[in-house]
Amino acid sequence: MLFVELAAQGLVQGSIYALIALGLTLVYGLLRILHVAHAAFFTLGGYVGVLVANQTGSLAAAIFAAMMVAGVGGILAFRLCYQPILDQPPFVPLIASIGLYIAAEELFRIVFGAQGLTYRNEFLQGQVVLFDFLRFKHAEVVVMLGSAAIIGVLSLLQIRTRIGIACQATVSDPQMAESFGVSRRMVGDINFFVGSALAAFAGVMVSLLNNLVEPTMGSVPSYKALAIIVLGGLGSTRGALAASLVLGVVESFGTVYLGQLLDRNAIAFAFLIMILMWRPHGLFARR
Amino acid sequence: MNSKLAVAVAAFTLHLGATAHAAEVKIGITVPLTGFAAADGKSALEGAKLAVAHANAAGGINGQQIQLVTYDDQASPKEAAPAATKLIEKDKVIAGVGGSYSASARAAAPLFQAAKVPYVVAYSIHPDVTLAGNYVFRTATMGEVQGRAGAKLSSDLAKKRVVIITLKNDFGQALAAGYKDAAPKFGLEIIKEYEYSIQDRQFGALIAKVKSDNPELIYASGYYFTAGPLVNQLRAAGVTVPIIGQEGYDSEKFIEIAGAAAEGTLVTTSLDRDSASPVTAKFLKEFRAATGIGADMVAASTYTATSIVIEGLKQTGGKGGEALRKAIEIGGFNTPIGTITFNDLHEVKKDVQVQIVKDKAFRRHSVISDPVVLAPPTKAK
Repeated sequence: MLFVELAAQGLVQGSIYALIALGLTLVYGLLRILHVAHAAFFTLGGYVGVLVANQTGSLAAAIFAAMMVAGVGGILAFRLCYQPILDQPPFVPLIASIGLYIAAEELFRIVFGAQGLTYRNEFLQGQVVLFDFLRFKHAEVVVMLGSAAIIGVLSLLQIRTRIGIACQATVSDPQMAESFGVSRRMVGDINFFVGSALAAFAGVMVSLLNNLVEPTMGSVPSYKALAIIVLGGLGSTRGALAASLVLGVVESFGTVYLGQLLDRNAIAFAFLIMILMWRPHGLFARR
Repeated sequence: MNSKLAVAVAAFTLHLGATAHAAEVKIGITVPLTGFAAADGKSALEGAKLAVAHANAAGGINGQQIQLVTYDDQASPKEAAPAATKLIEKDKVIAGVGGSYSASARAAAPLFQAAKVPYVVAYSIHPDVTLAGNYVFRTATMGEVQGRAGAKLSSDLAKKRVVIITLKNDFGQALAAGYKDAAPKFGLEIIKEYEYSIQDRQFGALIAKVKSDNPELIYASGYYFTAGPLVNQLRAAGVTVPIIGQEGYDSEKFIEIAGAAAEGTLVTTSLDRDSASPVTAKFLKEFRAATGIGADMVAASTYTATSIVIEGLKQTGGKGGEALRKAIEIGGFNTPIGTITFNDLHEVKKDVQVQIVKDKAFRRHSVISDPVVLAPPTKAK
């Protein structure tokens, strides 16, 4: 019983990681930038979500608004922060990204206050009970099914649509794709929009599960998502998804059985080190 | 042109006037206004400001107004040490108030001690703070003592099998140590102890395990921002046994975050919302009037620490240093968290208030006043 429950909790956590890590891996695949500030859009999603939900009383409106605002914010980050310094060595955009994240965290604190915000209505707090020992909050079910659905649709779009193919082409050979008339800037916009919107969706879901949006809620995801894309093999979407789920489950069992020895986050990184010793390029390294 | 000059001269004269008038008594405080503890810092500062406003409205000290000098310490020792030095050297404060966490207070206390400036710590609970020396006082019940009070409360509730969920920092570990220390005396059986980090907000895996342990009671340490999600998720997972928390829960924000799940949660704390004391009632009312929100433990403790300094200064006629230290040592201060007296280690001797969440508010559950359970460490130990 406990085994199943822990696995289920791991999958919930893993789905959240997947939503966040996907945007990060898209950006890395395209620009070779470690986009630390990605977690700021996770937090932004949480804030927009809670504000819109409390204003309108509609969760659907809240999720939509959060994804749109974060998506546009992602494009702005790309155009204003990264694009001007793309020809610099990789540590320059990395430092810019860390700076952007810290600035965003303090900005959230100044604008929305340090205490954090909570939902005025109860959304998705109902219970689904399976075989009387396995209980899920509706929000947990939504986050699992939602991330599976979103990721499924995105991968279809990537294979079936011209824009999706253009994105793939740009990732595998930017110059060749450009010579075929694919705009790198457009591909960048799309990747940042989609990635940030997914992070925002995760932000709304996490804020529902905790009933709390706080300025620092992105601090753990900011580095854990980096670990996940390294674990998955940098730039590999499939790898990032697999790594998210595996890490969610490992953490879930780890907190219970190793919690006395190691912190939950330490467990994640110890696992990362072990895997990298075995497969130095991650689970799904690109050749 | 002339009029501009006149304005400038007038402004300068006013400025001079203000400086000449500044025969003020300066009290210094460090609080975390940025970083993870900023919410507590803000609450603490409001408490201190209210104490100063009360005293100034009543004529200050010997007719001199009190000025509160504030620095942000980010609840971090590397910010707290320079802030304390600035208060002592540059601002020449007559006394200091510690409105921050243990990490800060541990860094600041030796500096105040070396300068012989009395330093009253409001709500940090690490044992090392008062070991810095005889100029350091603490108005908060130490972690170990609160932990023992938690064990007493568990036995008052007639529960035996306990799971402890500990926040992995100074605060949580001190509480757990006290609880475990007193547990055998009250016949409590600790089935399991789990630890979590201050960044954790999702406890799904841990809760699944707690459920399988099937305890009669959960003793969980944390701050409102960890305890809110924790209690919410415990109740959502179908865990219905009593939960005992501590001062860290003592914020309206806890009830807001945990929602309906907060109902029935017990906390051992220092602020009794249903107190018959007029001092407490006045504080609660005026804090709400000044800030628009209800007072929490942090605000009440920092108000208390500040008002003890002010009362001490009134007794010495505005003299600081050794005279002030001796005045504070005498004790007997009537504050919103009870009548306060210090032992030889300058630890506070006072009752522990047990509050219960009822209809979205903290209400009195009981008071623990067993002097043996609540004895703070002394110089001898």
